[in-house]
Amino acid sequence: MQPAKDNYMYQMIRCELTDAVGAEFVNSGSADGLGHSIDYYWIPEMWHDRGNEPQRPDFVVHPGSTEEVAKVMKIANQYKIPVTPWGGGSGSQGGALPIYGGIILDMKRMNRVIEIDTSTLSVTCETGINAQHLEWAVEKAGYSTMHFPASIACATIGGFLAHRGTGVLSTKYGKIEDMVMSLEVVTPTGEIINTLPVPRHASGPDLTMMFLGSEGTLGVMTKVTLKIHPVPESRKFHAFLFPDMHTAMTAGAGLMHSRLQPCAIRLYDGPETAKLIKRVLGIDREGAYLVFGFDGPEKIVDLQMEQACEICRAAGPKEDLGSESGEAWWKNRYKFFYPPYMFHMPQAFGTLDTVATFSKIENVYWAMKKTVEENFPEATFIGHFSHWYDWGCMLYARFIFDKAPEDPAEAAALYNRVWDMAIRAAIREGGVINEHHGVGLKLGRLMKELYGPAMHVLEGLKAQLDPNNIMNPGKMGFKGV
Amino acid sequence: MNIDQFTEVISSCRFCFMCRHLSAVGQASCRESDTPRVRALIADSVRMHPEKLADADFIDTFYRSDLSGANRCHCDGYHDGKGYDEVGLQLALRRDIVESGNAPEAVKKLADELEAGAKWQVAGSGDVLYFIDHYTAETPAIAESFGKLAAKKGIAFRTITGGCIGKALGVLGFVDRAEAVAKKFAEFVNGLNAKTLVVSNTAAYDALVNDFKGYGIALNVKVMHSSEFLAGLKLDYAKTGEKMSYLESDYLKNYVKNYPYPMELLKQMGVECEPFGTNEEESYTAGEGAVVLPRLHPELVTMLAERVKELAEGPLVTASPYTRMVLKGLNILTLEELAAKRAK
Repeated sequence: MQPAKDNYMYQMIRCELTDAVGAEFVNSGSADGLGHSIDYYWIPEMWHDRGNEPQRPDFVVHPGSTEEVAKVMKIANQYKIPVTPWGGGSGSQGGALPIYGGIILDMKRMNRVIEIDTSTLSVTCETGINAQHLEWAVEKAGYSTMHFPASIACATIGGFLAHRGTGVLSTKYGKIEDMVMSLEVVTPTGEIINTLPVPRHASGPDLTMMFLGSEGTLGVMTKVTLKIHPVPESRKFHAFLFPDMHTAMTAGAGLMHSRLQPCAIRLYDGPETAKLIKRVLGIDREGAYLVFGFDGPEKIVDLQMEQACEICRAAGPKEDLGSESGEAWWKNRYKFFYPPYMFHMPQAFGTLDTVATFSKIENVYWAMKKTVEENFPEATFIGHFSHWYDWGCMLYARFIFDKAPEDPAEAAALYNRVWDMAIRAAIREGGVINEHHGVGLKLGRLMKELYGPAMHVLEGLKAQLDPNNIMNPGKMGFKGV
Repeated sequence: MNIDQFTEVISSCRFCFMCRHLSAVGQASCRESDTPRVRALIADSVRMHPEKLADADFIDTFYRSDLSGANRCHCDGYHDGKGYDEVGLQLALRRDIVESGNAPEAVKKLADELEAGAKWQVAGSGDVLYFIDHYTAETPAIAESFGKLAAKKGIAFRTITGGCIGKALGVLGFVDRAEAVAKKFAEFVNGLNAKTLVVSNTAAYDALVNDFKGYGIALNVKVMHSSEFLAGLKLDYAKTGEKMSYLESDYLKNYVKNYPYPMELLKQMGVECEPFGTNEEESYTAGEGAVVLPRLHPELVTMLAERVKELAEGPLVTASPYTRMVLKGLNILTLEELAAKRAK
């Protein structure tokens, strides 16, 4: 642990950090400290809401280059100071929280677009760039990253890489790990390394994939080359209302089994259709709302859309809501995440993000729902299925308490009990935590149960790469300080 | 406290990240604290622990802000035009800082100077008044161009020169003193028995149409931004076909809300406007909203201006004398200057 602020060693370390990145880029003020003590995880939000101060970093360091990141890592190793990388801070799992104080490595100064390669269709950028800014820069060149998560305006590309984020069009364009060509990484000991320049090879195991999703525990990803895509001529959506979730799921799985190429599919269960689809889109119906879209050359889009609608009609919908309802969903896709549409204090809420095969995903849903509703009758359980694959899909289930206990310890205990029980129910049914939010602080304690003996492999990797355990300790189920 | 009127904004913005990409000062400084979320978190801390109003770093954070309206406008877009007023929250907190006696010395000194400089002189004759504030005066070509254009239609005008009309005092948090200065200016203008008051400074325009209304101060003249006045002249312009980028005014776009006259005037001039930067949402402001940021944080204004300069690809035109001033060195003209160059 680093020395207290009134200790001369604190100032000695500050001087070294200043030497590495410049005085104006080492900050220990109360405003930045507060900003970095709370991300999008409910626990620190609640802690603050109850008048308490979440753990703050000792230093907020803003490196401006890969070399500066390396220097900071060497200083941190020298004094065994915890380092927590921070992008946009919009993660929901507490992955960027400085739970042991130390250094927050705020990456936002590393925000340059280095190259747009129009022959490869790729963009190389620093990882501190805001995702929306990257998309705008790529669009100006006539292309798109096709990475459109709800957090596009808040998060950095590094944040997406760190927890394997996904966007609304993932069903066609993939998750962030499908978009990555190669990475530059600063290891915990301060070495600068590059992974191989192409994502498909037979030159041993894939180092790129090892760092993706490592949540700042195995190193700092500083540069990335991502695939980009031409802007499609056409993008169209269509929606159906099904009598129940199962019928809608049959239709959704049918779309994927057909090997059509939808860019997005989203299926809302009955309670979420009644609550959020009504509130955000103004569609007031009972049933399960299913929306999907295609993009590309218009002729191909129209052909695929026709086929997809036939599959849905064959599954027995209650109502064909048409393209207008589908387009409304696309237009409002981010609106769900703005207050007051998004859940917020005094509510206690969490996204029980789980992914499973088609053969298991409904069982996962019902197991989680039963667990939440039977054990926490005051909670509401809603869910939708987003990010569909050939083999299954992701369940974006949520629990909501209209009011959590006022006492912060009681509130935290209740909150964690829901997670423990619901996630264990999901794991029992073959679900995997999770698909795109990451593990962080929130789910670290469940990693051993998820991985079983394979967790030792991950722990071994961590120990090898980070011998002093300074990189984001206590996250992802790895040991703390 | 004044922030008590903004509890819904605090509650909504404190954990919301959705507009951070538009925070101009946040983009330039890369500090987490220079974002609407953290400013709301600070306000929330102050609401819960009023003694934190004296925290020097919290205070500095609020006076570092560019007060850009881009974030509020973004939020409006997701809430049927009724987004959360995070600029209002910032101004309320600045007011609380001042009223609790915690204003930094530099801020107090600047407020005293602004108040002492709130004097105006009039010259010339005519029913039209043209206000040349300090920022407009920094580029003499602006007023000269205005004069040339008015002369083409034989319009006589009087110039008003002088200092603060309340806007800068208001954004610093000295609202009572701002109101008193605004009243004094209104009395001065009303005593001139003119018909029209034209201003080039976009912050002054916002003050006259929005702040004065908020104070309940009436003016007996029609207030126009210079772009509206010049567009109304319907002059004949030489169409050169030159491509330019229009650098939006934070005040005209995000405070007054999509004021149409700059574009109308550019259309009259036949200017082919190319989009500036990569998108239409960012304000690309160099601190226009905060009015006196160059006095309090010149290093931030330099950073903000650098970011705009990096994105500039060709000649620029702006409706804001402030922006013209801080982007000195770029190929940039105000609407008045461009119109004077092109008018036949």
